This record gives sequence, structure tokens and C-alpha cells, in this order.
Amino acid sequence: MDFCRTVELLYAAIPLRPFRDWLIRAHMDACPRCQSRLLSREEARTLMVGPGQLGDAGELWQRIGREAARLGASSETGPRGGRLVWRLAPAAALAAVTALAGFWLLRQAAGPGFEARAAAPADRFVIAYVKVDGAPAQTFVYQPQGTDTVLVWAQKTP
Amino acid sequence: MDEREIIEGCLRGSAASNRAMVEAYGTLVLSVALNVIGNRQDAEDVCQETFLQVFRRLDRYDRERSFKTWLLTIAYRRSLDMLRKKRRFAEFSARARFEPAVVGRPGEGDPAVPAPLPSKLLEALSPRERTALCLWANEGYTAKDISEVLACSASTARVYLFNARRKIKALLENDHGLLQNG
Repeated sequence: MDFCRTVELLYAAIPLRPFRDWLIRAHMDACPRCQSRLLSREEARTLMVGPGQLGDAGELWQRIGREAARLGASSETGPRGGRLVWRLAPAAALAAVTALAGFWLLRQAAGPGFEARAAAPADRFVIAYVKVDGAPAQTFVYQPQGTDTVLVWAQKTP
Repeated sequence: MDEREIIEGCLRGSAASNRAMVEAYGTLVLSVALNVIGNRQDAEDVCQETFLQVFRRLDRYDRERSFKTWLLTIAYRRSLDMLRKKRRFAEFSARARFEPAVVGRPGEGDPAVPAPLPSKLLEALSPRERTALCLWANEGYTAKDISEVLACSASTARVYLFNARRKIKALLENDHGLLQNG
């Protein structure tokens, strides 16, 4: 009896379903005392409505059959695929309009970079000749992308 | 017609087979819905929706499984949907009572007030526990069968059933004790 009490306490204290299931299978299902504290099948049947208490299913069929016929008739008025197309048509049209508008807007807007023509240093200035210590020097011209800054690097020719 | 013939007929769209299916399983589905929802009218709606869904989706039924269990799975889900719908409506109705623009027609019952369950004791159980108890008591289902309907593990179904049996028994004993003391 003490063991039953311990099992009940464990069941109440640890709300883990696998553990509770193990307790049920390991002890409660086989223990007459624990079983006496559970509703029996016969007792449960007296509390619940059984199929036998609901009479004939003929009335149910009248209702269900009428609805099934109505739904069948409505589906015959137009093919299922056609109805689906009409249901999807507004969404497809909206998607097409959005795509076209997006394409047009993106095409018009200036991008984050700069035009390739502007990036060419040759359009801004020309270095004809560079000397270092009276001798021709190696010269490098560098323009960081997106800026107007031009760096000229000259070094002695090795 | 046996079960296989009924299913074959329904797949072909035969009205006679549809009728045979409702006559064979109609009261079973209705009793499960009634025990879960507790209202005859709603249970009949659930029963209708269940069979209409079965007629539409019968091609998805896996012949390896029990047809009755598949049918009851649909009925159980539809019953839960109905309970959710009623709960939402009850919440809306509770708010609407404070708004004079929303009034019911005179003589109409308050749809937000749930009708009594087959046994008031069953109100102490969750819909899952009610379903487990109903299938166990009326159909002789095991925890594994119940788990297929509830879409859970057999362990979980066993715990639902155990809790349901224990709760109702405790309530019955309390009632009996009160009667004796009173």
C-alpha cells in the first residue's frame, strides 16, 4: 500500500509523459488497488453517449447526402482546375504588376556606384612626363572608386 | 456491402456507397463528436463535415491502416476545430455584450453558452482526454489505437486515458461522499 502511495506521489511530482507511462505500465496497470481508483470501462460507458443510443443513421444520410449532392452539383458547373485558375488569377496579376513596376523603378534609379566613363582617370587629366631626381620615373595613377581623389605615385626607375 | 466494397464505391463516386458508408459509420462518428463537443447540433455539423471530407479525400486513405481509425482521426480533428471555433465565438460574444449595437434576436438562445455535455463530469476533462476515454470505453481501443487518432505517441495516449479515468473516478467518489455526508 505504501508502494502505491509512493508511485502516486512520483506520478504527481514528475510530469514527464514517458515516465508517467512507465509508472502506469510497470505498476498501475497491474495493481488491483490502483485499478480500483480508476474508472472502469462499464462506468465510463454509462457516462458517455454510445453509437447505439443515437438511433438510425438514416437521418444523418439525408442531411449529408443533400450536402454532398449540392457540392457535387456545384463542382459540375465548372471544372475544378478552371476554378483554381480564376482563384489564382488576381494573385498572378498582382505579382506581374509588382514585378514590372519594380523592374521599371530599378532601371530608372541611379545605382550605388558611378558611371564607368567617369572613373577613367584619362578623362580628368593627362600626365605627359614625370621625373624624379632628374630622371624619368615610374608613375602610377590611382583613383579610388566613387571618389574624385586621384593619387599619383612616382618612383625612381630601378 | 462490406467495407472494401463501400470504399471502392465511394472512390467511384457512387451515391449508394456514400449512403452505405454513412449508415455503417454515421452513429459512430456522431457519438465521438458528441462526447468530445457535448452539443448535438454541433456534433451533427462535425459528422457532416467529416463525411464530406472523407468522400473528397478517400483517395488519400492508406489501405494498410484501419479505415475506422482513419475516419475517427478526421472526426476528432473536425471536433477540435469546432471547439476552437466555439471558443473564439464565445470570446467575441463576451466582448460584444458590452456593445449595444450587437444584439441577438429575441427568443434566440445564447450560442456562446455551451450546451451541456452528455455527462457534466466530462467537462473536467480536456478534449484529448474525452476522446481517449470515449474510444476506450465505446470502441475498446487500446492506447496504440487511440494514439493514431490523437496523432501522438502510445505513451502519451496511455497517460491521457489514465488521467481521464482517474479524474472522473475521483469526481464520482467525491459526489458519492457528498451525497452520503449530505
